[in-house]
Amino acid sequence: MTALEVLYYVLGALGLFTFLSVTVMVLTYVERKFLARIQQRMGPMRVGPYGTLQPIADTIKLIMKEDILPSWADRPVYWLAPLVIFLPALAIWVTLPVGEGLVLRNLDLGLLYIVAVSVLSVLGLVMAGWGSANKYAMLGGLRAAGQLISYEIPFIMAVLGVAMLSQSLDLTRIVNDQASIANIIIQPAGLFIFLMAGLAELGRTPFDIHHAESEVVGGPFVEYSGAHWAIIQLAEYVNMFAIAALVVLLFLGGWRWPSMPFEGTGHDALSLVWFLAKTYGIVLVIFWIRGTYPRLRIDQLMAFGWKVLVPASFLNIVLTGIVLFYGWHWSVLTVMSSLTLAAIGYIIYRRPGTDVRQDTVRVVSARDAGLKPASQAAKPLSGEPIA
Amino acid sequence: MIGSLRGLAVTLATMMRRPVTAQYPDPKRRLPIDERFMGFPSLLWDYSNAEPYCTGCMVCVRECPTQCMTADMSDNARFVSGESTRKKIIEKFEINLGRCILCGICVDVCNFDAIEMSHEHELGKFDRNANRADLKTLLVMGKTWQSKTGWSPTKTKNIGDPDIRARRQADEKAAKAGAVPVEVVSLEALKRARAGATGAAPGDGS
Repeated sequence: MTALEVLYYVLGALGLFTFLSVTVMVLTYVERKFLARIQQRMGPMRVGPYGTLQPIADTIKLIMKEDILPSWADRPVYWLAPLVIFLPALAIWVTLPVGEGLVLRNLDLGLLYIVAVSVLSVLGLVMAGWGSANKYAMLGGLRAAGQLISYEIPFIMAVLGVAMLSQSLDLTRIVNDQASIANIIIQPAGLFIFLMAGLAELGRTPFDIHHAESEVVGGPFVEYSGAHWAIIQLAEYVNMFAIAALVVLLFLGGWRWPSMPFEGTGHDALSLVWFLAKTYGIVLVIFWIRGTYPRLRIDQLMAFGWKVLVPASFLNIVLTGIVLFYGWHWSVLTVMSSLTLAAIGYIIYRRPGTDVRQDTVRVVSARDAGLKPASQAAKPLSGEPIA
Repeated sequence: MIGSLRGLAVTLATMMRRPVTAQYPDPKRRLPIDERFMGFPSLLWDYSNAEPYCTGCMVCVRECPTQCMTADMSDNARFVSGESTRKKIIEKFEINLGRCILCGICVDVCNFDAIEMSHEHELGKFDRNANRADLKTLLVMGKTWQSKTGWSPTKTKNIGDPDIRARRQADEKAAKAGAVPVEVVSLEALKRARAGATGAAPGDGS
């Protein structure tokens, strides 16, 4: 590796970090505004015009705040955890293309790398939970680990379905493969599974079980403050943007679909805009879901993961394999995948197996108990039988 | 599933609506105050006689459940000169707005139309004692309220001046032109002023 290459990667990493930091600041503002509007509020309005400078004020505040160390904390683990959470989030972006040729290092096994690295964040959550020496943090960390096993399989399987269609794990090739027809049309069920598993991986509503303010008061991050908390928060939003970007790359055709008019430099610039517009659209959908649904319980997440998402994701792969093996037209897969999606919807709607009543107190109406209203009650016995 | 989609539709529909938030401290974006709004008590101005209605009878001071008021009565100099029929007049009046609970009992017990609940309601001040409103402040509050609501006297002895509206408007015009908003001349103040002017000790009326 020559000195020039080293310089290229250092500058590239710095540029990526700057891009992501600015993106996160924008995301925090957009989230607060969007959620506020969903609740008919205004959100930040004071700092700058329409509160646009609020993220900057927040950043300054977080950096200046005192960084507190709990006296019982496991020091190395406690200080290391934010890094372990943040580095995988940043490392994913090394191979995520954000436009035509706009990628720090395109990998042939990009998807495998992303799937492998993104899971590492959970280790950081468990470390943060353990290091804090706090029962809520500990519970939150373990919840994060418990959550992992229920979403990781469908997450990987949904990615695999796309990889099968494109016969590649290279993200740029997957995007180029969707130039004529995006994967959302071929595999709508795959998109749904990937988005749901992605939400669970991010720990966002309705799967924010390890944060759960009302139960574990913020989960693994209870004891963190100041810059360390800021780094964890940064990682959360970077991860969210990465999942949204992955949805766009894998299912919405990245910057290639629908195709754009320009050629050359104009095309490259427009591809970035096109990609970012789509990604922000997915991010807004994630915010929208957050503004709509309440949090699931951990057992509900497990049930949803194991009973719905895992079978559906395997079915998705099998159907894709059959269609690819017999060389049928892609529209056959569209129909099959839509049916799978409909089946998932039906299962969510009916929730089989959950209608077993487990009441501790049963309210029995008078009519069911065989009692009659007072007006129709039999006359009290006065010694004579009623004729 | 259908319910979930309906939930998404509900939040989307809510998002399309305009927020109703009024951004309170910003004077341009407040909600309008209703005419019947009950803020802090204020002293009213008798436009017929160009002096306060208040005679300093202390009934409000005595009835106040939080004892937030103090008042001093004095002889009315304008009665002596024949300009007014009011023998006694208020000399000092102070309401600690921080203690006031806006119950309106002072208004109910007043026999002279002298005190009413104004539209003032803000307590944020930069000073510990800044919420003590003196006579002048209270009269300005009352005048503002009278102008805004077009109040006219309700007690029998005060009704009867047909020109009260014209007088009020003339007063408002003068205030806009920069006249002193309220000027209360009590006999004590008059005596003090005379004594100060002549350099003699305050006399006993001789």
